[in-house]
Amino acid sequence: MNKKKRILIVGLIVVLFLIPLVVNGPYQLHVMIMIGIAVMLSSSLRLIFNSGQLSLGHGGMMTIGAYTTALLITKLGLSTWLALTAGAAAGALLALLVGYPFVRLKGIYFSLVTVFLAEVIRLIAEQWRSLTGGSMGISNIPSPDPIAMFGIFNIAFESKVSFYYLTLILVLITLVVLYAIERSRIGLTWFSVRESDSLAESIGVDTASSKVLGFCAGSFFAGLAGGLYCEYNSIITPSAFGFTYGMNVLIYMIVGGYQRFSGPIIGAIVLCFLPEIARPLKEYQPYIFGGVVILVMFFLPGGLISLPGRLRTLFRGRKDNA
Amino acid sequence: MTGLAFVTQIVLNGLMAASIYILVALGLTLVLSMTGIVQLAHGELYMLGAYGTYYICTVLGLHYLLALLLSVLIVGLLGIPMEKIFFRPFRGKDFMPSVIIAVAIMTMLQTTAVVFFGSSVKVVTTPFRGVMTIAGAVVSWERLLVIVISAVFVGGLFLLLRYTRIGLAMLALSQDVRGATLQGISADRVSSTAMFFGCGLAAVAGGLMGAIFNLSPTMGGYALMKGIAVIILGGLGSLSGVVVGGLILGFIDGIVPPLWNVQMASLIGFICIIVILIFRPQGIMGRPS
Repeated sequence: MNKKKRILIVGLIVVLFLIPLVVNGPYQLHVMIMIGIAVMLSSSLRLIFNSGQLSLGHGGMMTIGAYTTALLITKLGLSTWLALTAGAAAGALLALLVGYPFVRLKGIYFSLVTVFLAEVIRLIAEQWRSLTGGSMGISNIPSPDPIAMFGIFNIAFESKVSFYYLTLILVLITLVVLYAIERSRIGLTWFSVRESDSLAESIGVDTASSKVLGFCAGSFFAGLAGGLYCEYNSIITPSAFGFTYGMNVLIYMIVGGYQRFSGPIIGAIVLCFLPEIARPLKEYQPYIFGGVVILVMFFLPGGLISLPGRLRTLFRGRKDNA
Repeated sequence: MTGLAFVTQIVLNGLMAASIYILVALGLTLVLSMTGIVQLAHGELYMLGAYGTYYICTVLGLHYLLALLLSVLIVGLLGIPMEKIFFRPFRGKDFMPSVIIAVAIMTMLQTTAVVFFGSSVKVVTTPFRGVMTIAGAVVSWERLLVIVISAVFVGGLFLLLRYTRIGLAMLALSQDVRGATLQGISADRVSSTAMFFGCGLAAVAGGLMGAIFNLSPTMGGYALMKGIAVIILGGLGSLSGVVVGGLILGFIDGIVPPLWNVQMASLIGFICIIVILIFRPQGIMGRPS
């Protein structure tokens, strides 16, 4: 990555850390925290997509993570940080369990079974009342335990601002890890599998395992996002991250642009702000959202990140003709 | 209730559930295998069928069956421009944009329902009051009607696919796009027809269910999930597989709840599908493509 980009990213991170000094209304902070969670989800979905399969049930992995974290804290009294990690691990574990049968299905059919999986998770959460509290869900999930270090400082998580920073840090960690994975050897393997899995198989790549690995890795971060959410919101219900939310995450990824790492990030930010801007329209707001999504799909199939490239070719074309 | 009466009752329950599942899943498979569209908005067409029937019946005062038929026609016809404008440009290419567009359409249709019909649940008074007794079991006319009408539509579809030119063309296209087009089959024509029938089937299911249960703008999600489950179980790309899968899941949902409870039914259904996925991922009658 060139120097200019590096500086830009560092600058951006600094700005993000300074935002709460300027914007600290509880609602604004809430929106930004939810955007952070959306970024985690859309970027991790892109990881799964890069490994060759499109999961439409990402919301289900988030639900599993959220419930695991919530149950470990409320029923077993586990420390919130441990529970958070366990929630993430639960997502990865579930992906591992269903991974091998699932990846035998190609294309759309894999996507359909992931939808089914998310629905099953929702049904289990709703119907296993003794464990999960049914449609009422689990409430009174405590905020993360304070971090006390060397008796010097004590970070408590009482206010929205503290959650904002927690989310920001987790998002940054997630993005760094995802980026590293993508640039690593396994990322290269995924690329070859994506381009032609039979060809990859012929040179000895275990495509099934690599797809399952991608599925697990992506689901890990979905579970993490789920755990974070339940500790932030203190309540989790079965339908909180159902089909609709999973679809929204997919939209962020595709409309943002799945070809590049920054695509899902941009998609999540733009499409989470859009409903806020269109809020005055009340019940007509989904029309704006749907309309924008459809327009982008028709005119910018590569997503929003392809916009600069498109504009460049547009203008360069003009210059050549003149 | 005597033993026989009880058995008859639950068998008929199962048949009714199976009928609805088959209608929805057939429509979804038709669209999926013949137009290549991942029609995630299928549930919304089911919902529109229900609301359409309800409104034509109550506002225009037409007889229920006529309202059902009209609603099916309207929703089916709605599907044709939907396919043409939104999905055809992406046919044959990457399926990603069409998935997103289907989701966008799903959201917008739901919003339209909320705007026009209100977001609260509508209670429907059944048009066919009365019950009859079969083998000692008390069965309501409306539930029998669901089974009969579904059978008519499903049977009609199979006859259409087997014995008419357009039906054969549709089958051909779903099996091999290139081969079919080389024979002079117009992919455009087939897509429109498949879309018409697919949406129409969803609308029938919605209209039937709407008469028995309540209407809500979000009722489509249930239909979509059941449709997907049936397709996964019964076979990807196989129409008879859909019937088999629908019967299995329908009977599970009809028989298990009276004997145990609803949770057990969900669990058993889920286990069936997982078992199939492990041992035969393409479904009971699916093609291993």
